[in-house]
Amino acid sequence: MKITSLLILKCHPEGSDPIILANASDVSHFGYFQRSSIREFIVFVSRTVAKRTPPGQRQSVQHEGGLHFVVDFISSLEYMVHSYNRNGLCAIGFMDGHYPVRSAFSLLNQMLDEYQKSFGESWRTAQADSTQNWPYLDEALTKFQDPAEADKLLKIQRELDETKIILHKTIDSVLARGEKLDSLVEKSSDLSAASQMFYNQAKRNNQCCSIL
Amino acid sequence: MPVKVAQSSFRDRTQEFLSVAERLKKSITSGSNQNGPSSSSSRPEDKRSVAAHQSEFNRRASKVGLGIHQTSQKLSKLAKLAKRTSVFDDPTMEIQELTAVIKQDITALNSAVVDLQLFCNSRTEGGVSSDTSSHSTTVVDDLKNRLMSTTKEFKDVLTMRTENLKVHENRRQLFSSTASKDSPNPFVRQRPLASAKSAAGALNNLPQWANGSASSSQLFPRKQMDGESQPLLQQHQQQQQQMVPLQDSYMQSRVEALQNVESTIHELGTIFNQLATLVSQQGEIAIRIDENMDDTLANVEGAQGALLKYLNSISSNRWLMIKIFFVLILFLMFFLFFVA
Repeated sequence: MKITSLLILKCHPEGSDPIILANASDVSHFGYFQRSSIREFIVFVSRTVAKRTPPGQRQSVQHEGGLHFVVDFISSLEYMVHSYNRNGLCAIGFMDGHYPVRSAFSLLNQMLDEYQKSFGESWRTAQADSTQNWPYLDEALTKFQDPAEADKLLKIQRELDETKIILHKTIDSVLARGEKLDSLVEKSSDLSAASQMFYNQAKRNNQCCSIL
Repeated sequence: MPVKVAQSSFRDRTQEFLSVAERLKKSITSGSNQNGPSSSSSRPEDKRSVAAHQSEFNRRASKVGLGIHQTSQKLSKLAKLAKRTSVFDDPTMEIQELTAVIKQDITALNSAVVDLQLFCNSRTEGGVSSDTSSHSTTVVDDLKNRLMSTTKEFKDVLTMRTENLKVHENRRQLFSSTASKDSPNPFVRQRPLASAKSAAGALNNLPQWANGSASSSQLFPRKQMDGESQPLLQQHQQQQQQMVPLQDSYMQSRVEALQNVESTIHELGTIFNQLATLVSQQGEIAIRIDENMDDTLANVEGAQGALLKYLNSISSNRWLMIKIFFVLILFLMFFLFFVA
């Protein structure tokens, strides 16, 4: 469950290439020599996908083939590229196949909201790829490796499941307690019967002796 | 056709047929004779009306039977259509039309059979022989049974159709990430929901979706064009990319997740309730134990008091002993007096 890269692009509704506004990539799990080429690959694919994502729509593209490099270290990349275009501002995420789609899209939503909050409308005037780093994106990349962070629904579901497990254990222990209480009731009723017999016996002792 | 002649055997039973017809005619006339003088003028009319009734009844029964037969034929066609399921060639419209037609037929036949039954019942006042009435009731029952079996088959075919649809849906979901050309209808229906947020209306979605699938083929040569500017992209030719419209499935998955959460919370609620019931029951048990222990305590204290009294009486018994010894000594004195 890994996020490899998150990008924000500005899409023109006409056919020109989208402009990258923010980029955060984590290529550390590739070999050292492929990192730069993978970064370029990410940039290119995100541009292409953003161009093909119509405004107001979400899309996912799945790579399934082999990426053959000169150094054939990586022979296959399974990527899902999720893109969400909202009014010309497009957020793209490169994740592997295990990352749940819904969390991916909620993450993209969050990214777009954050971007609009921090940069307002200034992105509309951007003409060239911005090279500045947006720190939010970097920490988002590390924070959201676990999909539960990004998707509140997933988090809630997970917590509810844990609660359910705990409740099941509680009910089991309550049932055991019930059994113990039942045995206690038995014993205490036996005890009270025995004590009653004891009392009667003692009384009879007194009465019988009074003749003497 | 008052009597059906058995044709499977080779015997010539025409004579029997003629005699039975004579007898029937006589019995009809005798039946109407028994009805008394009040119907004397209507006797010939009775005979005629009886015969007319009978032929009317037979006509309607034969019509109903024909209708049932046709309906069962249409039903077999429907069953064949519903069984012939393939993901791409889905004859939904025909199946729906045929279903509607068959339903109408079945309801019409139902009402016709009910009418027939009423008709048959209303005729029994006409003073016909019991054979005719039993024959007509048998015919009506047979028609009803056939209609029932037809309706049952219809229901079976419908259930089979829904199961097939479900299988389709599953298969479609399996394949929808790889092939996006299957029935665009559900996507089109749900598009407007998904794009309600954006300014671009629902109208854009359908052509864009179509463009999306068309663009997936264009993407290929496009990539090749762009790839020449960067050396590593020459090897992209071997990648397969699939564009998947996910807008509606995203919404669907959100809806599903929410429903899951809601049902989980509901289950948790029931679990808490059960927990509360168990604990309250156990509270009762605890109270009982407490009462038992109190009883035991009381008993033991009483017993302790009794034993103390016993101890006291034992320890203060010497007075009684002295009295007893006095009595004994008195007796000894008596004995001594008597002996000595």
